[in-house]
Amino acid sequence: MEYIINQFVNGICQGFIYALMAVGYSVIVGVVGFVTFTHGEVIVFGAFASFYIFLLCGNNLLLGVIGSFAASWLIGIFVYKICYERFFHAPRHIALICTIGVSMLLKNIAQIIFGPNKKPMLNIIKNKIYSFGIVEISKVQIVIILTVIILSALLFIIFMKTRWGISLRAVSQDKTAAAMMGINVKQTAMIGNCMGSGLAGVAGLLIAINYQTVYATMGSNLSIKAFAAAVLGGLTSVPLAALGGILIGIIENMGITFTSASLRDIFTFVFLIIILIFKPQGFSKKKGVRP
Amino acid sequence: MKHFIDTIKSTYGKYKVIVWIICSLLLLIFPALIPSNYVMGVVCRILFYATLAGSLNVINGYSGQMCIGHAGFFCIGAYIEAILATQYHINFWVLLLVGGIITAIIGGLIALPTLRMQGIYLSIITLGFSEVVRLIALNWTSVTGGAMGVKGIKSPTLLGFTLSSPKQYYYIFLVIGIVFIFVTNRIINSRTGSAWISIREDELAARSLGIEIKKYKILNFMYGAFWAGVMGAAYAPYTRYIDSTYFSLDEGFNILSMVIIGGQGTLIGPILGAAVVNSLTELLRSFSEWRMVAYAVLIIAMMWLRPQGLVGASDSVLAGDKMKKKKIKVLAKEEK
Repeated sequence: MEYIINQFVNGICQGFIYALMAVGYSVIVGVVGFVTFTHGEVIVFGAFASFYIFLLCGNNLLLGVIGSFAASWLIGIFVYKICYERFFHAPRHIALICTIGVSMLLKNIAQIIFGPNKKPMLNIIKNKIYSFGIVEISKVQIVIILTVIILSALLFIIFMKTRWGISLRAVSQDKTAAAMMGINVKQTAMIGNCMGSGLAGVAGLLIAINYQTVYATMGSNLSIKAFAAAVLGGLTSVPLAALGGILIGIIENMGITFTSASLRDIFTFVFLIIILIFKPQGFSKKKGVRP
Repeated sequence: MKHFIDTIKSTYGKYKVIVWIICSLLLLIFPALIPSNYVMGVVCRILFYATLAGSLNVINGYSGQMCIGHAGFFCIGAYIEAILATQYHINFWVLLLVGGIITAIIGGLIALPTLRMQGIYLSIITLGFSEVVRLIALNWTSVTGGAMGVKGIKSPTLLGFTLSSPKQYYYIFLVIGIVFIFVTNRIINSRTGSAWISIREDELAARSLGIEIKKYKILNFMYGAFWAGVMGAAYAPYTRYIDSTYFSLDEGFNILSMVIIGGQGTLIGPILGAAVVNSLTELLRSFSEWRMVAYAVLIIAMMWLRPQGLVGASDSVLAGDKMKKKKIKVLAKEEK
């Protein structure tokens, strides 16, 4: 019983990381209007950026978060310039295939630069376990959950209170109308894409801390998880995407508690299929343009 | 250039029968002309991938759906052949059909939940499916052999001959390829094929003309999956040993890059794509890690410069906005 409860806590912690990825995903899909396949690779680059920062500058979590955010922001600009900028008015599948191409490119370049082997992440946070009754939670998990909550709050403030946020929301609702109101749609879409990518990069850092390893090919499974979580909110609703991420984390960890750990990725897929069968449009109430 | 193409077309029209006889004779005696087993192996791979990419092209190029994890279907076909042949000693030629039919049914079940949504959901589902199939093949040790794979798959026999070397296998791949091209050509020119193409061009217009979108989409997907299963079943005895590493996501991207580079929406496109990509693989053998990077750059370049691929269907939605501009220009000229 204790074991199951602790697996549940692990699930929530992992769910928070997936939630951050899914939030980034739904920001990208909402603002740019295209579905992306590069999310997993962006996550990998963020993780490696933080890995090298920790290697060079020592244990400074804040520096790591900023570094991985910045690195993924740059990758986001690259992805936007190649995949989206020219293709806003072209048939949709062209941008889609372009993101597949960029995802292949980034994945293999990552393998060449960082090497194909798993690398052990440095111990950033001294591992200490706090126990409340039978529930045990480690310091790493608390740091992860706090980071995700702080970043989500920051994103919420940017979305609701600043000029950037207003133009981002306007572009995500209707590109033509936003352009008529004097918003630079292309620039705003780029900022949205970069923001989503940046959040994904930080998620990469958190995953690396949680599993204590980084490797170049971990992206493709994470990409599917981010998508599955975002489907719960109809791909564009940010809070529901976060909820989806937490749910996937819990389902995964409960699943591997009762079966074996090598089947981890199958549960995400089953979750995705079940949602598509029963609630294909997600639980979002927003009536707007869907990608 | 245009004059040159027209000349070729008119000469081809005059001597159609002779050209066909020469081509088929060349294809028949081809293995005798080439002594080296290595080159024959490459030719076999090109033929094999031409059909596999062709089956993906039926899905991506003709009905405008996007399947990315084609390696998953290929994997199912290969494992069905390998397991049934090694444990129950069923004939290879029967298993070709069985593998295809089971794969088609699984493909239909996978596509079913996504029919109500836009194509992107199907893409993600196939991507996840491909990975799930690989994981099942890796972990279901009692049936698939797990990480050890399936060993000692028997070579097929025909009229008492055992077909094992690449030279003999060339004919199997050739015959399957020709049957595939023939059947697909008949279907594309039939009512069903027109329905697929109209769905690709404009789904809303097709629906308002009374085409049952769901039925034709799922038919299309099952047909593509069927041939992927057949090719999987043909591939397993060719290598005599399969394990789950053959069917990774990279394999799916490999097939996808052939379709995109060669050209979507034509029957000749995937054949050219398979030839280009496989020759590139052989050329880049010494830099094998840069191989996928080269494909990725080629895919992006294709999307920027020629979205329909090298010999793809230029008069379709696959060609992107360039066609639209041309049409507008033509219309403007006509108005003047």
